[in-house]
Amino acid sequence: MSKFLLFLGCTIPTKQYAYEISVRNVLPRLGIELVDFPEAGCCGFPLKGINKKGWVYMSARILSLAAKKGLPILALCNGCDTSLRKVKDMLKHDEVLKDEIAELLSREGVKLNFNVDVYHTIEVLHDFIGVEKIKNLVVRPLKGIKIASYPGCHMLRPSDIPRPEPSGEPKKFDAILSALGAEVGYYPDKGGCCGATMLPYSPKHAFRLTAAKIRNMKDFGFQATTTSCPYCMEMLDSKQEAIRAELGDDTLSIPVFYITQLVGLAIGLKPKELGLNLNLSPVEEVLERLGVSLYE
Amino acid sequence: MSLDVKLIDKKVLKDVIELVKPHTPQYCYQCAKCTSACSTSKVLPEYKPHLIVALTRLGLIKELLNSGIIWACSECWKCAEYCPQDVAPVEVVIALKNLAISMGYKPPEDLRVMAKNVVELGYISPPIEVLSKEFEMYSRATLGLPQLIKPYINVEAVNNLKKFFGGVYE
Ligand code: SF4
Ligand code: SF4
Repeated sequence: MSKFLLFLGCTIPTKQYAYEISVRNVLPRLGIELVDFPEAGCCGFPLKGINKKGWVYMSARILSLAAKKGLPILALCNGCDTSLRKVKDMLKHDEVLKDEIAELLSREGVKLNFNVDVYHTIEVLHDFIGVEKIKNLVVRPLKGIKIASYPGCHMLRPSDIPRPEPSGEPKKFDAILSALGAEVGYYPDKGGCCGATMLPYSPKHAFRLTAAKIRNMKDFGFQATTTSCPYCMEMLDSKQEAIRAELGDDTLSIPVFYITQLVGLAIGLKPKELGLNLNLSPVEEVLERLGVSLYE
Repeated sequence: MSLDVKLIDKKVLKDVIELVKPHTPQYCYQCAKCTSACSTSKVLPEYKPHLIVALTRLGLIKELLNSGIIWACSECWKCAEYCPQDVAPVEVVIALKNLAISMGYKPPEDLRVMAKNVVELGYISPPIEVLSKEFEMYSRATLGLPQLIKPYINVEAVNNLKKFFGGVYE
């Protein structure tokens, strides 16, 4: 049994509830013990443009709190995962910064310690649980469904720090999908950007980035897509209708799932146990093919 | 072309170099690979990371900051991957944002709200109610998820956050 601190970040516990629900219901069934980590809060990544040092302080605080508990961190969000690993790297290589942050933390009685492992959902599924184990637990294979993995920027970049997908492509992601029985494959700009970070500047422009992704997936014959980042989900799923309206294009329609929702479906969990009623994209299209009702 | 020397701020390059360490904007040779790869540039052609790096090196950032275009970066980190000179234009853009804030420029409104929420709640947003497919409203409580606690309770911790982010919304 592997044990992890469940680090939710901001977006997941304040609005992307389906990710949290599916993680809490799926991972323990695959032998992962999750320990709540409510004192963590925001990793600071969205605020680095306002004050980089403030961001470093926030992530360093989370790393230190985790180190004290002596458990590795499971970061569900691509942004959180990048944030914690990037800050670890910065503190390792910059003595001045390290001393400054240590001083700030000491004022609130926290001892700086960044000697803690950080893992992302994809790594826990692929590296810790393993595709063989997942495959053996599948009771409802996603047969004949062509699913586009959508890693999101920060699962791949920046590559000068350890990334959940070190190859620069979502290989682990596709291996998990294959284990569930789904069809996987290439489409252009698979590692491209959903545009979420552009939202505060201009939703109109951000939506065009997301739309390009959906178009590529559809052009290459995919019937659904899946991500493991709450920001990507927010753009692809929650804002899908707004994107159709903004671009005046009704063909921009595709079912979007969290990877943990697909794993849960394949191992036989009910849609409600996976928060699937909270996905706003047409997930029923896939559920129907599996003979599952959203409301069962 | 003549440069308006009044616009040149020598201190800018020094500040940026300090903020983007260990990346090296001084080594940019204007190949524009960053712009070819740039996500934002694809939907907003006037956003060009190689130009942002060039203007920063010259200290000509007033126009950049006045236009607010630095806030359009989608932080996809593609520019950093494609740059042959380890410039990491994205880091330059983040540094420029920091400089803009310290000079009194305001970030986009949504970011100001996020900063305020982080200081007051420890999260970029309070937990919201969401609409489901059946048009029912759900909250953490009705979904059976544990209640969120305030992560920053220590006075010193809140002071730290205020010092870093308070300026943009107060
Ligand atoms: S890719 Fe690097 S070297 Fe080339 S223009 Fe961009 S920042 Fe300069
Ligand atoms: S990080 Fe920003 S500047 Fe760099 S490629 Fe992405 S959008 Fe362009």
